[in-house]
Amino acid sequence: MLLALRGVDKRFGDTLALSDITVSLDGRAVGLLGPNGAGKTTLMRILLGLSSPSQGDVEVLGIDVRARPYEARARLGYAAEGPQRIPGLTGVESVAYAAELCGLGRRPALLRAHELLDLVNLGDARDRRVETYSTGMHQRIKVAMALAHDPALLLLDEPTTGLDPDSRDELLELLVSLRDGGGPALLLSTHLLHDVERTCDRCMILEAGALRFAGSLGELRRPNPQHYDVRIDGSEEARGRFVDTLVGTGATVERGRRAGVLDVHLVAPDPRVLWSAAETSGVRLWHLEPRAPSLEEAFLATISAEARAGTGPGGQP
Amino acid sequence: MKDRVIEVGYRRLPEIQAGPGHAARTIARWALTLAWRKRATKISLAACAMVAMGHALGIVVVVLLEAAGTFGGSTPLAAMSLNVDRIVGNTQEVLSSFVSAQTYFTVIALAVIGGGLIAEDRRYGAFDLYFARALRRRDYLLGKLLAAGAIPALTIALPFVLLWLLAVGIAPSTLRLSLLWLFVPGLIGALVTSAVLTATLLGASALGERGRTIGVVFVFGWLLLSAVGESLASNGLATAGYLSPARDVATMMEALLDAGPASAAAAALELRGSVNPSALLSTLSLLGFASLGLAVLVGRLRREVGG
Repeated sequence: MLLALRGVDKRFGDTLALSDITVSLDGRAVGLLGPNGAGKTTLMRILLGLSSPSQGDVEVLGIDVRARPYEARARLGYAAEGPQRIPGLTGVESVAYAAELCGLGRRPALLRAHELLDLVNLGDARDRRVETYSTGMHQRIKVAMALAHDPALLLLDEPTTGLDPDSRDELLELLVSLRDGGGPALLLSTHLLHDVERTCDRCMILEAGALRFAGSLGELRRPNPQHYDVRIDGSEEARGRFVDTLVGTGATVERGRRAGVLDVHLVAPDPRVLWSAAETSGVRLWHLEPRAPSLEEAFLATISAEARAGTGPGGQP
Repeated sequence: MKDRVIEVGYRRLPEIQAGPGHAARTIARWALTLAWRKRATKISLAACAMVAMGHALGIVVVVLLEAAGTFGGSTPLAAMSLNVDRIVGNTQEVLSSFVSAQTYFTVIALAVIGGGLIAEDRRYGAFDLYFARALRRRDYLLGKLLAAGAIPALTIALPFVLLWLLAVGIAPSTLRLSLLWLFVPGLIGALVTSAVLTATLLGASALGERGRTIGVVFVFGWLLLSAVGESLASNGLATAGYLSPARDVATMMEALLDAGPASAAAAALELRGSVNPSALLSTLSLLGFASLGLAVLVGRLRREVGG
């Protein structure tokens, strides 16, 4: 089991940062999704044992983090959000230092550092001081440092924030290659849905400290039996009647993503309403398909209206 | 033969077994490696080396004159050297004044080298890099103490030992015996001074986020405290002298080495400042400064690093 949390609360004074989180997740790559302030970083720090939950049990890779935090951390790699660095060190020195801190000897650490810099595509910048690195290079060196001791689970906190599209693409490609190439399992905290869609097979959705969803992406995007893509054939007048009939049942009808397709959201999961409306309005149903939402739609459907109001296009708050 | 570049990809590692103290040694070594890259480090250490060499010269002069007094019989040189203690001082005085003088230069070296040891880690968020690993607070603390402690060990304790060896090495056998006993108390004094400097610097470093600012504040604070203590003590408030770390170091060293009254040369060159009435209270005062520094450091780490 990658991680198991039971009844985890975290309070900062009067503020409840995490509320009764109970979840068990396995898999190669888990996305931790949520708007800003949802409690993602707090949860990550609890998983690392850097912050203690106010109550509840936390197990990571089968290790009780509260009882054995150092043992847990020895098997975890963490790339925190922000430009953390040790100034003055070059890229290869930073990774070698990280490896040595985890117990590797000087030469094995240096060898590991060179390997990882090649892996994260920083080979050409290995002898440059880290303070001269761009944001994208910083993110990659942090991943390399987190991988230095070969962790079983790599925790990444907003790794693509502030990256240009090319750098972001490269980093996501690296994460996919780790996931598929025998690297550590991933726990990716982000508010960018695309990142999760591309790299993860499972996800957790947090909102205002509460767990809204935990499961596979397939489950999250399971077709909604109240939501249909409908293509009809008939006169303009008949089509209008069809829409009016459906609206009369309380359904919402919008123009769909594809031309000529209607996006129908029924009041109840009963498609017979559609057949009945077609019959009464004199149109032929050409196409009827339960609608699988995009990740963005599924995410928006999962979180509350208040959180949605603060979420911009593309699911980016 | 051409180099062959082979892409390894992601390689799994066998289980890592680190020995005790490995992380602390690693932190100290990298901190010192980084410090050595700064030109200011080399300059400040060179200044410390000059102080040590000046005192080495003093040791040679004093010991040779003492030796001449011992073996010279009725020669004019022997007659002159009978009063050598009162004129140029003795080995104890040189060793004592070395530690006192070197303390000032070490304060500067420490400020240059170690001002950012904790502060820069805070400034650049490096705590996350350290403590997201299986690293305990005590490993980090020990590593930083080792790094900072290496400076006074190198500038005060080690040269003290070398100066003592020089004195013992060139002294005639009759004089050598009287110099042998200086080693242990002198080294204890040098180590206490080193510990005080190390702990107070790290305490100061834990309070800020910019190494350079911390360095300036540390030197300024040391000088200000010493000057204020000295001034108040010389104006009748004797207990205020214990607030002056420089005066405390001088008092402790002179008592430990039994340096006696100041020689004419030392008085002329102002090599020996005034001292406090009680060596014990001065030592306790120094240990108080060290404890305060450590308390600030530990408190900061506890606040910033959970788990």
